[in-house]
Amino acid sequence: MRLHGKSVLVTGAARGLGRATALACAAEGADLTLLDICADLPGVPYPLGTMGQLEHTAALCREAGAAVLTAPADIRDLRAVREAVTRAEDRFGRIDVAVNNAGIAAPSGKPVHEIDEEEWSLMIDVDLSGAWRVIREVGKAMSTRRAGSIVNVASTAGLVGYRHFAGYVAAKHAVVGLTKAAALDYAPTKVRVNAVCPGSVRDDAQAEGRMLAEIARALEVPVHEHEKTFVEAQPMNALIEPEDVAAAVVFLASDESRQITGSVLTVDGGFSIR
Amino acid sequence: MSGPLHPAARCHALRIRSNRSPHPTAPPGLWIEDVPVPATHPLAERRRAGELARPTEGLRRVLLRYADDTCDLVIVAARDQWDRAALGRLTVGESVEPEAGQSVGPEAGRPAATALTPTASIPAPAWGLADEGPALPHLFALDDGGDEASWLAALAVTLRRHDPETAPVIGTDHGAFTVPEAVTLGELKPCPAEGPALAGLLFDDAELPGAYAPCLAPPFPLTLSVFKDADGWQLRCDHLSTHISTEIAAQFTRYLVRVHRMILTEPGTAIDDIDLLDEAERDRVAALGRPSRPLVTTPVTVPEAFARIARAAPERIAVTDGAAHLTYGEMDERSTRLAHGLRERGVTPGDRVGVCLERTAELVVTLLAVLKAGATYVPVDPAYPADRIAHTAQDAGLRVVITRLPEFPDVAGCEPAAPEELLNADQQLAHAPVPPTATAPDSAAYVIYTSGSTGRPKGVEVPHRNVIALIDATREEYGFGTDDVWTWFHSSAFDFSVWEIWGCLLTGGRLVVVPYFVSREPDRFRDLLVAEKVTVLSQTPSAFAQLLDVDHTQLSVRMVVFGGEPLDARMLLPWFDRHPESVCRMVNMFGITETTVHVTEQTLTRRLALAATRSVGRALPGWHLYVTDPSGRLQPPGVAGEICVGGAGVALGYLGQEELTARRFVPDPYTGGTMYRSGDLGRLRPDGRLEHLGRIDSQVKIRGFRIELDEIRSVLLEDPDVRAAAVVVRRDAPDDAATARIDAYVVLSGGDPVTVRKRAAGILPDYMLPTTVTALDTLPLTANGKLDTARLLAPATPTAPTRDAAPVTAEDELTERLRQVWSEVLGTPVGLDDDFFELGGNSLFAVRIGAALRAQGLPSLRLRELYRHPTIRGTVRGLATSDG
Repeated sequence: MRLHGKSVLVTGAARGLGRATALACAAEGADLTLLDICADLPGVPYPLGTMGQLEHTAALCREAGAAVLTAPADIRDLRAVREAVTRAEDRFGRIDVAVNNAGIAAPSGKPVHEIDEEEWSLMIDVDLSGAWRVIREVGKAMSTRRAGSIVNVASTAGLVGYRHFAGYVAAKHAVVGLTKAAALDYAPTKVRVNAVCPGSVRDDAQAEGRMLAEIARALEVPVHEHEKTFVEAQPMNALIEPEDVAAAVVFLASDESRQITGSVLTVDGGFSIR
Repeated sequence: MSGPLHPAARCHALRIRSNRSPHPTAPPGLWIEDVPVPATHPLAERRRAGELARPTEGLRRVLLRYADDTCDLVIVAARDQWDRAALGRLTVGESVEPEAGQSVGPEAGRPAATALTPTASIPAPAWGLADEGPALPHLFALDDGGDEASWLAALAVTLRRHDPETAPVIGTDHGAFTVPEAVTLGELKPCPAEGPALAGLLFDDAELPGAYAPCLAPPFPLTLSVFKDADGWQLRCDHLSTHISTEIAAQFTRYLVRVHRMILTEPGTAIDDIDLLDEAERDRVAALGRPSRPLVTTPVTVPEAFARIARAAPERIAVTDGAAHLTYGEMDERSTRLAHGLRERGVTPGDRVGVCLERTAELVVTLLAVLKAGATYVPVDPAYPADRIAHTAQDAGLRVVITRLPEFPDVAGCEPAAPEELLNADQQLAHAPVPPTATAPDSAAYVIYTSGSTGRPKGVEVPHRNVIALIDATREEYGFGTDDVWTWFHSSAFDFSVWEIWGCLLTGGRLVVVPYFVSREPDRFRDLLVAEKVTVLSQTPSAFAQLLDVDHTQLSVRMVVFGGEPLDARMLLPWFDRHPESVCRMVNMFGITETTVHVTEQTLTRRLALAATRSVGRALPGWHLYVTDPSGRLQPPGVAGEICVGGAGVALGYLGQEELTARRFVPDPYTGGTMYRSGDLGRLRPDGRLEHLGRIDSQVKIRGFRIELDEIRSVLLEDPDVRAAAVVVRRDAPDDAATARIDAYVVLSGGDPVTVRKRAAGILPDYMLPTTVTALDTLPLTANGKLDTARLLAPATPTAPTRDAAPVTAEDELTERLRQVWSEVLGTPVGLDDDFFELGGNSLFAVRIGAALRAQGLPSLRLRELYRHPTIRGTVRGLATSDG
């Protein structure tokens, strides 16, 4: 088992990529601290993860043999992040891996000059600053122990632009930047920081993901049409499955990637090649 | 690795099972985990193991609630804050504060009374056979827990038996102890000690409920914990697999329990009389040295076995000697005629007949003839010095020596004769059976003289049945048959030739004579192997290394047998590049003349070569081996001792040396036969494979350090530029041990000896670093194809060229001072034209040289100048021109 005995923290773990990642880590022998906001956010036009969904992820992980701690926390709140990290350290002694998965895709769907101050700030606060807060809280202990892996789930929107998604694209590009800068900061202490850039991921029923649907809604196109567009845009002619992204995260979390830091691993069926 | 102790090594844990959850809801400080399977499910076991392996800086309590309503309360705590008594109180729900005055951080100081201080790095012991495999704890139930002193004593006795050279230091949670040697067990008394501890003892006699884990990771490489829990007294062994393999740890613990029991019950026992192994363990270890398959052999004489082969196909070629061939039928016929001739000379069964001929077809015929006459052949290499030949003739009491030497040394009663003088002209006799002899398989077939490291060569008498057993032990496994073509590479006076000649002729193969001069020229030897389509090649590693140096792609060899010398498996990698394992089997055989050529067999693979295996494998069918301590007791697997060999190969003894024979050929306590004490050092691995560690008397001490020359050689061979290496110890003044130094000789494929020595310096401790490294084109070999250390010339001590010592000028003085500074900084004598960078110089050394020059008031030296003039002569010239 590639993550045997490791303590892994995953944000946005109630559903979607977070759930798939947590399960993949559990299957590789990790113990898990699962964070999620477990509440809706004013300004985000779709429902976010719930306590029930987070507990369901936890139950699935336990069935896979993991010890699991659930920690509802809003990553916009540094103190809440710190409390969750402290609890995880109490329970598991340390955090070996942090996966910054939590993020929102909307409010979006309009040209850059139509975004208002609150919408802009919310997007940056969750998608960029949320990742920074988690790194801030886990990074010091990892550095002291001279071991640890941080995986930031960015997006192909961290590599190229998307029309009418300026906030999201800016935040995800910044996550890639944060990854590279943090990787340099921590390289002397052997702590690694990497990013995964998923392409369009299928809204898997078991994982209860809804990102693709929400992006389609923001663009005011039917989901199946939106899916079709992306299948055509991804040279391998398929949507990405959540497990594909989780597998990349597991690799970057494990010691197999011990010489890999500051890298950006795309899981996009070839979307960003051209 | 010093530094703070790993948190897992500072924690202990307790697990208590109950039938129902004592806590419907979690009280503060208790983590409740629902595990969705019954307590017996493997997943539940994994969860328990996970909790018991998870360290904490303070205290953690976890309640695992299983699907079958049972629960495990797991308490993990830092042992310096919550001792075992505190753990017990925590289980009943008492709230217990961490011990006052104890600090939490691993960096902070802690009172010595309960502190487990990190041990300084201690190297893995050779006997531990560390394999970095799984390191599971071993648990033993004890009848009597004794006390801490009794366990320290037992540990000291057990450790000393594993490593007699090192005074045992045993760590505890209140400092380290040693136990000075004593006569009886009862007299052993621990006293405080210092130094890194390989082994540690955690003793606590407080009784606890539940199941106790004394540590989550071993604080000492070998940690023994004695405690009392719900199941009574327990001994648990935790170990680091970087230091000790799990088999060795388990066996160590068994021996420890046995010694401890003796301390409690028989304190009057003399320590020297203790056998770590009880009867069952002795049987187990004795069985380890036995082969994996039995020997099926029919004892006959060599001529009887030959006759059977010759009758089956008389027209098949038996021997190829240059352009000439001899069929089995011809060989049978000629040897019979020669045997008649020998009889007519008065040779009678049981006599010893000297054979002193060059390696030719005639020699094989002669050997067979001697055997047919019922006599014992005594091979003498005609290339040997006359006094050695004379010694052999005298010692063996030879009356007849078959030789072509024009001047055979004059030995009273010994008559040299050329083969044709003996050959009976009567053709009719060729088919007449030699008058029946009383030769039995148990009588001697040959006497081969071995030169021990001390004293004169001794004649080893080997009976017919041993030779037959050797063939029967290997024929099927290696598929020897009539399609095989064997080389006869080795002198008949070296018993590797017994294997080559009879291994081939008694399995119907074709024997290709390798003349002496061909055996010394690798490309001619290669040409012969190709031309004759040789399939079975027997070589010493030294000789094979030379063959590897020439193009060997065209060979059709299907098997190579190594013998005669220790093999460094890494040298085979270039061979495996060209000849995959599936095409050519490479077998290393450890052997001794006194046990009939071979003892063990190890098939080598690329994987084993990459791992630089030292294994010589398991005993051949019919052979078996033991590794014993100086008192003759079996050594535990892993521990080095004398290799003793019993079974089908044991020779009759040393000719005419009853006293020596009685000393080396001793009763085999396990089979009732005879075993041979080899004087070779080895260790048995837990899987029954033997590691050969050289001669017991070849271990040398330099300035108090015990040096293994093989280890130094092994490090040199790791250097990518080194193809072959030899290491010797020399004394400048033979009577002065302080002048001892290590000289290394290397055959290079690139680079230079200075760099090789520099790289070795990064691995070897100072006292093992060769003083000199000399590059040679090839390593010199003896007539037997082994490394000839006598022909390794002492390296010239480097000195400044004397021609520079002429009139003393200012420039000369500068040159001399520069030379001193360079030599000092570079740590090697420097000649005037030696290149700074080739001597291992770098910018750091350049800076130091600059500083030393400035300190002496000499012109300072710019790094750029050094690059431009990297020799002393060049530097002096450069300085002169820049001054002017």
